[in-house]
Amino acid sequence: MKKGAIVLIFLFLTVSSLPAQEMVDIFGYFESQGSGTAVNNEFLMLYTNKLRLDLKSNPSNMITFAANFDYITFHGQTTWNILDFLPSDVVAEVPPGMEDYYVLTFDDRTFLDNAYIKLSFKPLDLTVGKQQISLGTGYVWNPTDIFNVKELFDPTYEQPGHNALRVDVPLGSAYTFTTLFSPEDNWENSGKLLQIKGRISHFDYSFIAIEKIWRFHDYTQIDPETMYFLELPEKRQLLGASTAGELLGLGVWAEYAYNWMEVSEDFYELVVGTDYTFNFQTYLMFEYYRNTLGKTDYTEYTLNDWMRVLTMEQKSLTRDQLYAFLMHPVSDLMNLGVSTIYSISDGSLALVPTLNYSLSDNVEIFAYLNFNFGEEGKVFSEKMGNGGLIRVRVYF
Amino acid sequence: MIKKTMLLGLIVLLVAPGLFGQELTGEEIIQKVNDLFNVDTSYGKSKMTITTSSGQKRTFVSESWSKNKGEKNLVRYLEPSRVKGQAILMLNNADDIWMFFPRTQRVRKLATHAKKQKMQGSDFSYEDMGSGDAFIEDFTSKRLRDEKMEGYDCYTLELTRKPDSDVSYSRMILWVIKENFVPIVIDYYDEDDPTYHFKRLVQSNIQVIDGIPTAMKMVMHNVNDNTQTEMELLEVKFNVPLDDKMFTERELKK
Repeated sequence: MKKGAIVLIFLFLTVSSLPAQEMVDIFGYFESQGSGTAVNNEFLMLYTNKLRLDLKSNPSNMITFAANFDYITFHGQTTWNILDFLPSDVVAEVPPGMEDYYVLTFDDRTFLDNAYIKLSFKPLDLTVGKQQISLGTGYVWNPTDIFNVKELFDPTYEQPGHNALRVDVPLGSAYTFTTLFSPEDNWENSGKLLQIKGRISHFDYSFIAIEKIWRFHDYTQIDPETMYFLELPEKRQLLGASTAGELLGLGVWAEYAYNWMEVSEDFYELVVGTDYTFNFQTYLMFEYYRNTLGKTDYTEYTLNDWMRVLTMEQKSLTRDQLYAFLMHPVSDLMNLGVSTIYSISDGSLALVPTLNYSLSDNVEIFAYLNFNFGEEGKVFSEKMGNGGLIRVRVYF
Repeated sequence: MIKKTMLLGLIVLLVAPGLFGQELTGEEIIQKVNDLFNVDTSYGKSKMTITTSSGQKRTFVSESWSKNKGEKNLVRYLEPSRVKGQAILMLNNADDIWMFFPRTQRVRKLATHAKKQKMQGSDFSYEDMGSGDAFIEDFTSKRLRDEKMEGYDCYTLELTRKPDSDVSYSRMILWVIKENFVPIVIDYYDEDDPTYHFKRLVQSNIQVIDGIPTAMKMVMHNVNDNTQTEMELLEVKFNVPLDDKMFTERELKK
């Protein structure tokens, strides 16, 4: 970790020297965050400090270089036993002697999140390196995005970079053809993507095909070589479509993806959403999500189901969910909101009041509380822990 | 001779209103205002300062490009760091809106209701900033008695929302400078209550840029919240060459 800090300081000193500064735009943010969760009659707290340093340079109109360097430290309760949050019948599935493997530890991290070069030629843009890949029109869930899983309570948080080679070819002013290659150990295992995106009338459309290895785990077995849960890599082929536009004055969007799995059962995901801003500035959004990997009967949730969702390998435990978000600017500097996530399949509900406050031009506060209303065993049960988060972010 | 003079006087009395434009109807005046706003292409760099009811200030600097008399618009934020790189693309007179968030590299298509939202928490909504033919398409105009406003001789116009329009204002009163057709003051009335005046825009520092009279400063005061937002044009150019490629998702993400 010390090595990381030294690299960061070196990088900062190097790029902030006068000749480099003329070429490289340096910006980013510092973020301090505290989160707490009530579990087993205790309120456990985790504190995070994050420094994100962004570098961007345009040596010519054709060339863009960008990189982000993240340095994150964790404090407080940095070791969490996942079994504390799971229903007792699921905990009973843990093979004897394996209890210690269900511990999640937050270690300080230093990493290069994105580092890419973008070459803009007249007919196409070529982007090579670690880059963010954002797919789909959904707000909380994106069936066509198999590279990222969003946080349910914080869906707009930035996503990590992925190593890829991407070509975007504009076809006229309304259409773009995209092809992306995300290299792995060999061609067969590498991710491949084709997308055509366009506009008809007031609607955006896209059609997408992806092939990628899905690396999920069997959380009931340990791989003796890695001494971690057994990895079950499997080829996933996805065909999907998405749209966004306006209908009867409402914003509307939809996203669908069908997944062919090499070994396990095929499944599909669907998102349909709508939003509206009232004249009194209140904003309202609804999003429905179906994932046929999720189950309709909560008594059938297994240890593997829970673990795959908690480790963000899988997007949903429950089959049908409804997200609602209401936000109102109570002043020029403060927005208050409330989001609810309701599992239609198991009848449990999470209620998340939110606050955004602009403390100064470059300082903002974001906070939320989360309350779960559901019996033990359901996706949003009290056992999952009521709590909250407060985050102060300073941009520079 | 006296008769001749009287006759000439009568002719002058009858013709003078025409000569000095007083016979212009509300529709004709608003058309001239509209033509003034909607130049073929433009580039601008502006500074927006929001003053809250508690006296706190927030400042934003942005660049904007406009083409086809305001039919295509691109706005990109330069400052503060918190919003740097955020961009908004508006096509078809803002019937199609996309917003780009650089932190997530995500482009989000917004429905037209998003125009009602406050722009970065300011007293301007996206609807206020949108150009195009809103004054003509969404309102009927009626000329009221001429008045002096902010030291200028002005035409006074009342704009009433058309029944099929969904704009956020039931009516507006405009004071338009007779000399150059710049609306020096605009009063905005509540969507549901046409008697409730809640916002006033005052324009000032009129300079002729590329032959076009341009208000270099605009102040929007929200009477209800007791807040105000000042918009200052730092740089402006009209009829600059702009390629259609400027107004695409590719450019939005740059």
